[in-house]
Amino acid sequence: MNTEITNNSKNGFAVQVRNVTKTFGTGEARTQALKGVDFDAREGELLMIVGPSGCGKTTLLSVIAGTLEFEEGEVDVFHARLHGMSKSAITNFRGGSIGFIFQQFNLIPTLTCIENVSVPLLINGVSRAIAEKKAAEVLALVGLGGRGHDRPSNLSGGQQQRVAIARALVHEPKLIICDEPTSALDKDTGHKIMELLRDVARAPGRCVIVVTHDPRIYQFADRMTEMEDGRVQRVHEAPQAGFSHTHQ
Amino acid sequence: MYHLALKMLFADRAKYIMLVSGLTFAALLMTQQAAVFFGILDWTNGNLKNMRAQIWVVDPKVEQANEIKPMRDTDVSRVRTVPGVAWAVPMYWSVQQARLQDGTFKPIQLVGIDSTTMVGQPGNIIAGKLEDLRLPNTVMIDDLAVERLSRGRAKTIGIGDTFEINDKEARIVGICKTEKSFFGYPYVFTTYDQALQFAPKVRKMLSFILAHPAPGWTAEQAVIQIKKQTGLGAFTEGQFSVSTVLWFFRNTGIPMSFGTTILLGFIVGVAIAGQTFYSFILENLRHIGALKAMGASDWMLTRMVLLQSFTVGLIGYGIGIGLTVLFGLAVLKKGMPPFALPYQLPLFTFVVIMFICAFAAVLGILRIRKLEPAIVFRG
Repeated sequence: MNTEITNNSKNGFAVQVRNVTKTFGTGEARTQALKGVDFDAREGELLMIVGPSGCGKTTLLSVIAGTLEFEEGEVDVFHARLHGMSKSAITNFRGGSIGFIFQQFNLIPTLTCIENVSVPLLINGVSRAIAEKKAAEVLALVGLGGRGHDRPSNLSGGQQQRVAIARALVHEPKLIICDEPTSALDKDTGHKIMELLRDVARAPGRCVIVVTHDPRIYQFADRMTEMEDGRVQRVHEAPQAGFSHTHQ
Repeated sequence: MYHLALKMLFADRAKYIMLVSGLTFAALLMTQQAAVFFGILDWTNGNLKNMRAQIWVVDPKVEQANEIKPMRDTDVSRVRTVPGVAWAVPMYWSVQQARLQDGTFKPIQLVGIDSTTMVGQPGNIIAGKLEDLRLPNTVMIDDLAVERLSRGRAKTIGIGDTFEINDKEARIVGICKTEKSFFGYPYVFTTYDQALQFAPKVRKMLSFILAHPAPGWTAEQAVIQIKKQTGLGAFTEGQFSVSTVLWFFRNTGIPMSFGTTILLGFIVGVAIAGQTFYSFILENLRHIGALKAMGASDWMLTRMVLLQSFTVGLIGYGIGIGLTVLFGLAVLKKGMPPFALPYQLPLFTFVVIMFICAFAAVLGILRIRKLEPAIVFRG
């Protein structure tokens, strides 16, 4: 087990997590969701985190995304040491460096697709005109060029997830965090979404981390981290031909 | 982000309409009821506005302009001798019954002014001559009297027509316009001496003494001297007006009644706006969580919520004030109910409505600040 975070700009790591613990609740309701987790994700890879319900996958994802505070340990995301940052600095970091794709898409139903996609740019202070122009371009890249002025409710599930992907990519973040991105989609649509995400992960200086329960998409992973009971149990390499157990 | 915040607000039609309606209702209720209340207060000073004088001398027990405790006629002379008083004249005022041509009676306010100086005369004479009041049994009536005393006649009452006050014939020689008074009865002006003839005889008949400060004296200084040297009550016009309003506050349930309605408007506004806006925030919590996760700071979200809240506030306020003004325009033509809209009143309502909006926004903001962005990862 690694005990220190190395300089990830040199070793090609996008994310390094060391000995992170996280506890929810107090007294009898106290639950330790993460029990000293060590975790790595590399630049240019699509990494999946898998495991049974309640094993700590989503908690780990939230910690990496900087959306959840943790008690102990160190988290390094593309040179940024989250464990030493203030809350507002983490918020700024998230806005500029992380893209999010959620299980339920979380598109704002009263806004058009272009407006939804432009949100991360607006949060980063980009003007409305430029943000909407860029949003339209990215929507075209994900195959929804003609649907920019539609509301999400007029789109299919797969199309909505494409809008969500466009929103995650529009501000060109280094890390894309995906929470169950295909669980609300059928197999074919799910595969198309994963192909899109794999292409995103291949871009230089990027990394895509996917939390999933969906075995239909395992084949798209470059590596797979298996969690159980708040710990990383094993990491599998070599996707397409089946996973090989490497180390914990 | 502000245009998106507004779009999110306007797109939720049901909540938007509910918020605007609640705030409109609150603004309307608070402003309209307060305007009627101020109108009533305005009416309480009707006598002071219709019989202008810088100094009003009364019985020491009198506290307000609609209250009469008659004085002795010799009190006028006593006031004239006070240093600081340039002149003083008697005035009679009482409510009497006028008998109409069809035999019915209508209450009137009989005002007797000094026949020499005509001090206390109506300010706006629209027909006839004031001097004609010196002729025997003559009166000048206001436009409300024209309307009320015409009942039972083939044509509207006017100059040259007669009616009876306490079985004595009164001939109309002029028509004037007056401000409405608290009693709502029409004014009938005559001279002091004739008023004493029209009114039933009692031991003391002098209602007010109207006076003016001598050169080099202010009205306030003269009032102090009158009170000191005669033992009578005395007010400047402004003091009498304030004293009258305060009397109504202390001695009637009118302020309490209107205050309760205004308070209800405030409570309804707080309840509807607060509850609806909080529910709007709760329904959007997942999206707000997503915005937080994507890097929107608490301050950015706070500004968005404030914009949404104050936008509905301004719209509701604008509609509420607009409806109040329409109400005012409608009732001012009729003269009933009383209505007065000083600029401070819409300003007051604006502050209250903005307070309600700020309160509603704070409820939402507190919820948002507690919200962990990680909520978006929970199924």
